[in-house]
Amino acid sequence: MNTAAILQVEGLSKSFRGLKAISGVSFAIAPGSITSIIGPNGAGKSTLFNLITGYLAPTAGAVRFKDRPITGMATNRIAELGIARAFQIARPFRDLSVRENVRIGALFGKAGVRDVEATTRRGMELASLMPLADRPASALTVGQLRHLEVARAIATRADLLLADEPCAGLNPTETAAMIDVLRQVRSSGVTVLLVEHDMPSVMEVSDRLLVLDAGTLIADGPPHEVAKDPKVIAAYLGTPEVLS
Amino acid sequence: MKRSFSPAPITLLVVACVALLAAGPLVLPPFYVRVGQLMLYSAGLGLAWGILGGFAGYASFGHAAFIGVGAFAAGLAENSFPTLSPLWLLPLGLLAGGGTCAILSAAVAYPILRLRGTFFAIAMLGVSHVCAELTNNVDFFQGSLGLNFPPIAPSAMEPADFFYWLYLAAGLIVLLIAWQIRRSRFGAGLLSIREDEDTARMLGVPTERYKRLAFVVSAVLTGLLGVLYAHSLGYITTDSVYRDDTNLSLIVYSLLGGMGTLFGPVIGAFLLVFITQVILARLLDFHLFATGLLLVLLVLMAPGGVLGLVRSLRPRRADIAPAE
Repeated sequence: MNTAAILQVEGLSKSFRGLKAISGVSFAIAPGSITSIIGPNGAGKSTLFNLITGYLAPTAGAVRFKDRPITGMATNRIAELGIARAFQIARPFRDLSVRENVRIGALFGKAGVRDVEATTRRGMELASLMPLADRPASALTVGQLRHLEVARAIATRADLLLADEPCAGLNPTETAAMIDVLRQVRSSGVTVLLVEHDMPSVMEVSDRLLVLDAGTLIADGPPHEVAKDPKVIAAYLGTPEVLS
Repeated sequence: MKRSFSPAPITLLVVACVALLAAGPLVLPPFYVRVGQLMLYSAGLGLAWGILGGFAGYASFGHAAFIGVGAFAAGLAENSFPTLSPLWLLPLGLLAGGGTCAILSAAVAYPILRLRGTFFAIAMLGVSHVCAELTNNVDFFQGSLGLNFPPIAPSAMEPADFFYWLYLAAGLIVLLIAWQIRRSRFGAGLLSIREDEDTARMLGVPTERYKRLAFVVSAVLTGLLGVLYAHSLGYITTDSVYRDDTNLSLIVYSLLGGMGTLFGPVIGAFLLVFITQVILARLLDFHLFATGLLLVLLVLMAPGGVLGLVRSLRPRRADIAPAE
């Protein structure tokens, strides 16, 4: 395995009462990249995220982050090491304002010294949330909530962001804005691992694609090569015209 | 975190209220001094309860357990040193009561804080009843027989006045502790636990440790207040400290004043004690009915309590902010 990788997943498997959600998945993520995981519904993408963040314990295999084994570690310990997650179904602290939400991320997250106010502001700026800073989270639209998810995750000063379908259910304008935010996240030095269904966005933003089907990794490479892979087309993409 | 009030005027208001309250025994007739005692004691309990129930959202329905455990631990400790000077009795009692509550709460925290919502509340009611039964039925605790507490008030002072001031000082200390917790990183962590515990953990909040800590702090402060309460009664049995109406009132104080706020439990305790003891007390049996009705109306019409009602009348900054 590549020791320069920020995240290494080695032979990861997870079964739910005999049903294999993930089986023998291995890959390594280079720092500073945007890698997308795609695959049909039920392919195991969310399970993979749950395993990496410690929300679920794997049946077999290991996850290493910055060359440190994190398999089976408590979720909050993994966050302290520098992994953050933005949920598909946004989970804001509803009674708190946008600023207070992001501030919780800045107060906790990765261990070490921090400037809470500056980090909070930076997180909101990155996700273009400054004009909404004092609005209660419960008053945001779906698109704004996705931005809040990213802002709060970035405020933890994480080195790796797991973004779970940040564009799902967004209109084209909102999708473009979200892709822009993810690019900015990457240019701020954060590695991004993305699960996304919106193929044009994925093709546009990703350095690399991983394709999951029925819990196994069936393709791994640059987006345009993967998109031509017959196995991938058969499993997920359908007719090649979709991509053109 | 919530800046609905600017800090300086609120500090002045608190200082003025404390000064006013401190003058109470000098001007009030004895009946009102006793009501004042109960108000201050209840406010202290409400604040201690709120650290766990309000800040972290783990509403306990059994905090009387810690009043009882604190009181009995203190009584047993103080009675084992009959020759000790009265000056040292209260510190000894506080140490015994607080220490026992710390150990008990740390021990039950691990299993019980895995439960959430209603399940946690009911499990705490169970803890309270188990402690009460043990105190009542195990001879060592003398719960059915009762425990005497040596008088600790200075001879120059009316005991009722002494305990009034003692409760005022204790309530103030609990208020300062709750305030410090609320404005700290720990307090922000508790708030995130109340809002969404799983997300909080995902953001790196050490939720298990924070919940346990809040539980122990809340339990110890409740136990210490229980020690003072036992001394003010002078003689306690199981029934006088393990009271289910206390279990219920502690929730009601926060509901009434504003759940999860700093001053909510104080406002709620003052209101409820004053209403039940002064306004409705003369109505005999009718007062329980009236209190119940009042509570139902308040919860229906002002779910955020008194402070929530005040806030809803003030324009929110968020509503004025531009749309995009």
